Amino acid sequence: MSFYGRIRTIYVKELTDILRDRRTLIAMIVVPIVLYPLLMLGSIQAISYQTETLAQEDIIIGVLSESQGRWLYRLIEADAQAIEKNRQDLGPDSQEAKEELPFPLASADIRRFASQDEIQAQVRNRVIQVGVILNPNGPPQTTQEQTSVQFFLDKEDVRSASAYRRLVDLIERTTARIVAARKARAGLPDAFDHPFVVSDTDLSSPPSILGQILPLILVLMTITGAIYPAIDLTAGERERGTLESLMVSPVSVNDLIVGKFLVVTTVAILGAALNLASVTATVHFGGFDRMISTTSEGIPFGSMLFILLCLIPFAVLMSAVMIAVCSFARTFKEAQNYVTPVILAVLVPGGIAALPATRLEGIMLVMPVGNMVLLAREILLGAIVSFEQIAWVLVSTTFYAAAAVTVAASIFGQESVVFADAGSFGSLFSRRALKRSNKPTVSTVMLFTALLFPAWFFIQTALSPEPGESLGGLLYATSWLMPALFVGLPLLILLYWRIDVVGSLALRMPSGRHLAAGILIGLSAWVPVHELSVLQFQWLGAPESIRQSGEILKETLLSMPRGTMLLVVALIPAVCEELLFRGFLLSGLGSSMKKWTAILVSGLVFGVFHFFLFKFALTAALGIVFAYLCWQSRSILPVMIAHFLHNAIGVLLGLGAESGEDVASEAAWAHLPLYVLALGLLTLGIGLALASRRAEPPASRLLPAMAEA
Amino acid sequence: MDLVVADNLVKVFPAPKGREKRAVDGLSFRVGEGKIYGLLGPNGAGKTTTLRMLSGLMAPTSGSAILAGFNVATEPTNVKRVIGFLTANTGLYQRLSARELIVYFARLHGMESDHARDRANTLINRLGIGEFADLRCGALSTGQKQRVNIARALVADPPILIMDEPTLGLDVLSGRVILEYIKRQRDQGKAIILSTHYLDEAETMCDTIGLLHDGRLVAEGDLESLRKLSGQERLNDIFLKLIHADEKVEALIE
Repeated sequence: MSFYGRIRTIYVKELTDILRDRRTLIAMIVVPIVLYPLLMLGSIQAISYQTETLAQEDIIIGVLSESQGRWLYRLIEADAQAIEKNRQDLGPDSQEAKEELPFPLASADIRRFASQDEIQAQVRNRVIQVGVILNPNGPPQTTQEQTSVQFFLDKEDVRSASAYRRLVDLIERTTARIVAARKARAGLPDAFDHPFVVSDTDLSSPPSILGQILPLILVLMTITGAIYPAIDLTAGERERGTLESLMVSPVSVNDLIVGKFLVVTTVAILGAALNLASVTATVHFGGFDRMISTTSEGIPFGSMLFILLCLIPFAVLMSAVMIAVCSFARTFKEAQNYVTPVILAVLVPGGIAALPATRLEGIMLVMPVGNMVLLAREILLGAIVSFEQIAWVLVSTTFYAAAAVTVAASIFGQESVVFADAGSFGSLFSRRALKRSNKPTVSTVMLFTALLFPAWFFIQTALSPEPGESLGGLLYATSWLMPALFVGLPLLILLYWRIDVVGSLALRMPSGRHLAAGILIGLSAWVPVHELSVLQFQWLGAPESIRQSGEILKETLLSMPRGTMLLVVALIPAVCEELLFRGFLLSGLGSSMKKWTAILVSGLVFGVFHFFLFKFALTAALGIVFAYLCWQSRSILPVMIAHFLHNAIGVLLGLGAESGEDVASEAAWAHLPLYVLALGLLTLGIGLALASRRAEPPASRLLPAMAEA
Repeated sequence: MDLVVADNLVKVFPAPKGREKRAVDGLSFRVGEGKIYGLLGPNGAGKTTTLRMLSGLMAPTSGSAILAGFNVATEPTNVKRVIGFLTANTGLYQRLSARELIVYFARLHGMESDHARDRANTLINRLGIGEFADLRCGALSTGQKQRVNIARALVADPPILIMDEPTLGLDVLSGRVILEYIKRQRDQGKAIILSTHYLDEAETMCDTIGLLHDGRLVAEGDLESLRKLSGQERLNDIFLKLIHADEKVEALIE
C-alpha cells in the first residue's frame, strides 16, 4: 500500500472509532450547539439588564444642608417635567421620543450630612453614591451669577459613576434650558452662543465586548476539541491495551502518528467550525450583531469563514502539542493531568492577546496562540490586516506545528511509552539511560529551533532601532548573542545528551575538492541572488521598509572600520549560522529523514529565521544550496567559507560605490551586465559540480551502538 | 529450516539511580517449522520481554534474533509481517465490530480492501466468530474477545506465531478451542512460540520446552529429556527442581 493508502486506512479507522464515542460527540456537538447560545444569551441578557436597571435605579445623594437638598430636588423635578413635556409635544408614538429623549432622574434619595468630610467618607464607604456641594445655596438668579457644583464620587463603583453621569447630564440639560430662556428674553438668536456647530462621525471600530472575547473563546474551543481525541488515541489506546496489538502490526510509528494526528486535527477543526457556526447563529438570530461588529451590516460572514481557515494551522499546532503531551501518559487520568498545565500555558499568550491594547505586531506576530487570537480579532473587528501579518502568523504557526508533530512521533514510538512496565518512565529524560549517539534526533533539533525562533525574533525586535537611529547597537548585540544562542545552546544540548559533537556539527577537515566548491559557490552565489531579487522587485516591488532598513544599514556600516564590519556582518553570521543550520539542524534532520527532505527543511527553517518575508524565498533557496554543500562535503568548513564570502561580497558591493549606488537606490535594482551574469553562473555551476561527489563517511567515528543498528 | 533463531539475546532496562536491570541475559534458542516451543518460567523471568524482542516491539540491547530471515534489530517492520503476536494483554478496539477490527488489521498488513474482507470472512468462519462478528468488541465476552484476537494475530497467515499466555482468564471450553486452533496451525508447518503458566498446557502442546529463570535459559529439551535431567516425573516438579526453587518451597513451608 502507498503511504497515502496506509495513512487513509489509519485515519478512517481512528475517525470512526472516535466518532462512535459518546463523549466525543457530547464535547463536539452538544457543548457548542446547546451550551453556547444559552451562555451567550444568558450573560448578555444579564449585562443589559444590569445596565438598564442601573439607569433607572434611585440614586443616593449626600448634601450639606436641607436647602441645598431641596434645591437639588427641585432641579430634578423640573428636568423630569421638561422631558415629559417634550415627550408629549413629540407625540406618544414618535420614534424620536423613544430613542432620543433621556431618562429623567425619576427620584433621588437625598441625605443630609454634617460636613464635607463626612460626605467624602460616606462616598468612600459606598453608603451614598455621589456627594454634591453647591455654592452659593441656590440656582443662579441673574445672568451675572454662577453656581459652582462640586461632586464627590468613586469611579471604581459602577453605581457611583452612573449616578454622577446622570447628575452631570441633568445639569447640562438644565443649563441648556436656562440659556435658551435667557436668549429668548434678550432677543438673542439661537446661534448667539453657538458660533460653531460641530458634528462628528467616528470611523474607528470601538472595541466591542464580544468581538474582543470571541477570538479567545474560539481558540480555547479549538484546543478543547483537540484534548479528548488526543487523550483517547494515545493514552487511551495504551490503557486499553490496543497499543500493543497495533505496534505489532507492520506499520511504522510515523504512519500511525500522522494518521492519529490528522484525526485529532479533524475533530478540532470540526469542533471549531461548529463553535463558529453556533456563535454566528446565536449572534445573528439573537439580534446581537452590533455587539460583534460596529457596522450596521451585521455579522461579517466572509470574515467568519476566513477566521475558520486561519484556525486550521492553529488546530494543527494544538493537535500536535496535545498528542505530544498525551503520549507521555499511561492512563486517561494521567493524560488529563498533563493537559491542564498546557491549557494554562496557552491561556497566558491568549490572554495577553485578548487585551484591547495589544496589536498584531512585533513579537505578537510569532507568539504561539497569541498571534492567532489577535489575527482572528483584527479580522472580526474589521481592521486592516496586511498580507505580511497573515503570512507571519500562518508561517510561524505551521513551523511550531511541524516541530510539535516531530516531537509527538518520537515520543510515541519510545519503548517506555508503549509498555508501561518497560523500564522507568523517567528514563525518557534521564541522561544516564541514553546511549551515546552520533546525531541529535529530528525532534530535538526541531523543538530547539521552534523555541529559539520566537526568542530570536523577540531579541531582534527589541534591539531594532527607532527610525533615524543607527543599527550599530543591533549589530554589536547580535555579534555576541549569535554565538551564545546559535552555537552555545546547541553545544550544551549535545554535551548534555551525550551526542557526538564533532559528528553533529560536521567539524571535520573537508577534501580539497569540497573546499574549492565552497569557495566557488561563495564567490558566485550573489550573482543569481542579485538577479532573482531584481526580478522579484520588478514583479512585486519592494516594500518601503526594506529600502529604509537597507539605507540605515548602509549608513551604519559606513561608519564602522572595515575589519569590524566584516567581522560583524560576514564572519560571525557565517560561523554561527552554519553551525546551527547546517551543523546541528541538518545533522539532526538527516538522522531520520531522506537526504533531500532534510536539505529542504533546513533551508526553509533558515529562510524563516531571516524574518523579512520579502526575502524568504531567496534566503531559503540559499539555505538549500548551503545545506547541499554541507551534506555532500560532510564538513562545515566549505559552507562556512561560502557563507562568509557571500556575505562579504554582498556588503562590499552594496557599499562599494559610495557615490549613491547603494542597496537602497533604484540603481541597485538593475540587472547585472551579461558577462558578469554568465561568469557568475558558470562559477556557481562548477562549484555545484565539484560538490556533487559526496565525501566518504569517516568510518572511524562510528560508535558501537550505531554500528550495530 | 529454523524459522526463529535467537542468539545471545540481552535486554537491559535502565532503572533509577543508575542501576540497571538485565531482564534477558544471553538467551539463545531455535524453533523449526511445524514445532511448538514452550517458554516457561516464573514471573519476572523475562518471558514477556523475550517475546517482545522477538516481535520487533523492543530492540535488543545486544545479541540478535532472526525470524524467517529478518533481523529484529534492523528490520522490525519486516519481522512484524511474518509473525502473529497474541498476548493476554493485547486489547481490541471497543468501538469497532469484530469484523471491522479484523479488516483493519488486514489492511495494516497491506492487503487491498477486497482481499482484506475475504480474509476476514475466512477467519470469522474458521474461528466461529460469525454469531458476534458484527457486534462491537466492547460487548463481547472474554472468550469471544480472545477468538477475535486470534483472528487478528492470524490475519496475514504468518509463518511464525508468538503467543504469550493465550488462554489466560479463559474458561475450559474457550481455552480448548484456542489450543486446538494453535495445534492446527502447527500442523500447517508454522513455528510457534508459546509462553504459558499452565504447565499441563505446556506438557500437551510443546515439542521443546525452555525453562527461563532470571533472564537465562536453565534447561531446554523435550519433556522426556527434562525428566531425565531433573529426575522428576511431572513438569511442575521438573520446573521447581531446575530453577532450584524446590528448596525454597521447602524453606517456606517450614
